[in-house]
Amino acid sequence: MSYESPIRDQLVTGGKTYRDVTREITRPLESAPSKGWWFGFSLSTIVLIIWIYATSYSMVVGLGAWGLNKTVGWAFDITNFVFWVGIGHAGTLISAVLLLFRQKWRMSINRSAEAMTIFAVICAASFIISHMGRPWVAYWPIPLPNAFGTLWVNFNSPLVWDVFAISTYFSVSLVFWYIGLIPDIASVRDRATTAGRKFWYSFFAMGWTGSARTWHRYEVISLILAGISTPLVLSVHSIVSMDFATSLVPGWHTTIFPPYFVAGAIFSGFGMVLTLLIIAREVMNYKDYITEEHLDAMAKIILVTGTMVGMAYITEFFVAAYSGVEYEQYAFLNRAFGPYWWAYWTMMTCNLIAPQVFWFRKLRTNPTFLFIMSIIVNIGMWFERFVIIVTSLHRDFLPSSWAMYAPSIVEVSILIGSFGLFFFLFFLFIKFLPSINMAEVKSIIPTHAHADHDHSHASHGHEVIEKGAVHGN
Amino acid sequence: METSKKLVLGVYDNPDKTYSVTKKLISSGFSVYDVYSPFAIHGLDRVMGIKRSRLTVAAFIFAMIGLSTAITFQVYVSYFDWQVNVGGKPSLHIPTYIPITFELSILFTAFGMVSCFFIVNKMFFGKNADIMDIRVTDDLFVVAVDVKMSKADMGSLNQLLMDGGAIEVRERIKEL
Repeated sequence: MSYESPIRDQLVTGGKTYRDVTREITRPLESAPSKGWWFGFSLSTIVLIIWIYATSYSMVVGLGAWGLNKTVGWAFDITNFVFWVGIGHAGTLISAVLLLFRQKWRMSINRSAEAMTIFAVICAASFIISHMGRPWVAYWPIPLPNAFGTLWVNFNSPLVWDVFAISTYFSVSLVFWYIGLIPDIASVRDRATTAGRKFWYSFFAMGWTGSARTWHRYEVISLILAGISTPLVLSVHSIVSMDFATSLVPGWHTTIFPPYFVAGAIFSGFGMVLTLLIIAREVMNYKDYITEEHLDAMAKIILVTGTMVGMAYITEFFVAAYSGVEYEQYAFLNRAFGPYWWAYWTMMTCNLIAPQVFWFRKLRTNPTFLFIMSIIVNIGMWFERFVIIVTSLHRDFLPSSWAMYAPSIVEVSILIGSFGLFFFLFFLFIKFLPSINMAEVKSIIPTHAHADHDHSHASHGHEVIEKGAVHGN
Repeated sequence: METSKKLVLGVYDNPDKTYSVTKKLISSGFSVYDVYSPFAIHGLDRVMGIKRSRLTVAAFIFAMIGLSTAITFQVYVSYFDWQVNVGGKPSLHIPTYIPITFELSILFTAFGMVSCFFIVNKMFFGKNADIMDIRVTDDLFVVAVDVKMSKADMGSLNQLLMDGGAIEVRERIKEL
């Protein structure tokens, strides 16, 4: 029943049968973890311990352990928060927006991208909670009656909007991810050979039978979830940008922030998706599922969004010059030529200039090159948030309050440690859940009955024989 | 009420064959109880006469509940229950309620609709799946014909299923 585009290359290569898909994708779940997995998992656990130590230290000693001062009250904490939230945007973008646009190349990458979303939002939330300094009062932004000891929250504040936005985003992404997982969990359940695996996958498969009636409803809710997740993704990063844009701080007080942040989030998210998938297709041998065509498509999105972000940087400069507000003008000149010039030009190089190499198809399909580029994109986007936050704060209206900021070792440890948290969760995910959506991938494999039709090819006839052999036993 | 159903199962290895055999069965007067497949077969729901799911309506209703809850709550808190003077700004300021209202509408839609999905499919954590074939979540497709409800001659059923390319035909009693 699947329609095959005459101009697109096959999305899944290697002439896979449905059984091949199930077998190859469930293999990591059913066999003992490889050496590569153990190495990655142990390394991320060690880094995670650094995160736990540094975060607990900050809580015990207080935020004096960080390099913040009276002028620069937000720095590494919020930079890391926005960085991780941004990364968390590609997952839902891939599964929701590309579903609405019927882009089938999403199908072999959406599962791991959504997992990445969830883990990245967990990392982001950890920064929100730790930057409060007193995590035991983290419930204060939740609207609770005055009698509870807190005042009702101020609904005019974007920080309160952010609490709602991030928690909604996290919960809806989790639901979307889980709904997508159910048929695949059922596949693992029906192949399970050990009692433990059978029990747990049965538990989470919720009695899935693959009935056509269920599939009908499943498709309906998937479409609606995609429909509501798309504006959700856009709204979440818009609201994150309003944390800055609704203030009066020069450099933050600009109307371009919401679209600019959304483009940046997609850009950095795709950067991280590339990093993860290039590793995954090597380590887990998924090259037939995540083909060079997939990498090519993602590189194109990086090129588009990187250029959009670059255009926003230049627009900001223009608007500052054109506005005639000297504080704004100074903020931008200070960014580019002040004491933090190196951060600004790192950002410009990594985000605007570097992605322009993706005009060349040869470079878009070279995995090693793409891997390096994806790291560069991540570095660039981290610096973007650093530039926005620190350079705007450290010199604003009152020159007598000007100050410099340098991170303490504790802050650097928390940043590095958050990658440990992220990869720790990611390694658990690829061990215990199918990291490619099997049901969707099966639906885009050419159906083997084509040999019966008029437009049959010799290769299809071959596949029919192979399949017959499988069922003969 | 009957407690079990007698089904005849045709097992296929291909979605196209499954689709055409289902179509043929229905046009020759058989009652197709259900079709089981490892992935959604497009157009099959229409052939089987499955009515368009009303989960879309449920989604809309939940969105409206979320929207009105959010608006009512924010107006109640910041205007009626306890007005807080923040920089002299108005306490009742509808535009700043929009972001939270939007988020809560989506939250209610997602959770409400997905809960309804689980309820109509009778799905819950830990449910024992009554699967027709162990490989239906892997690479096989099963067409289940309800013997009692079918109006056509049962003798031709086996032939019809085999002609459609079935790799196996068997009977099965399904407990309801």
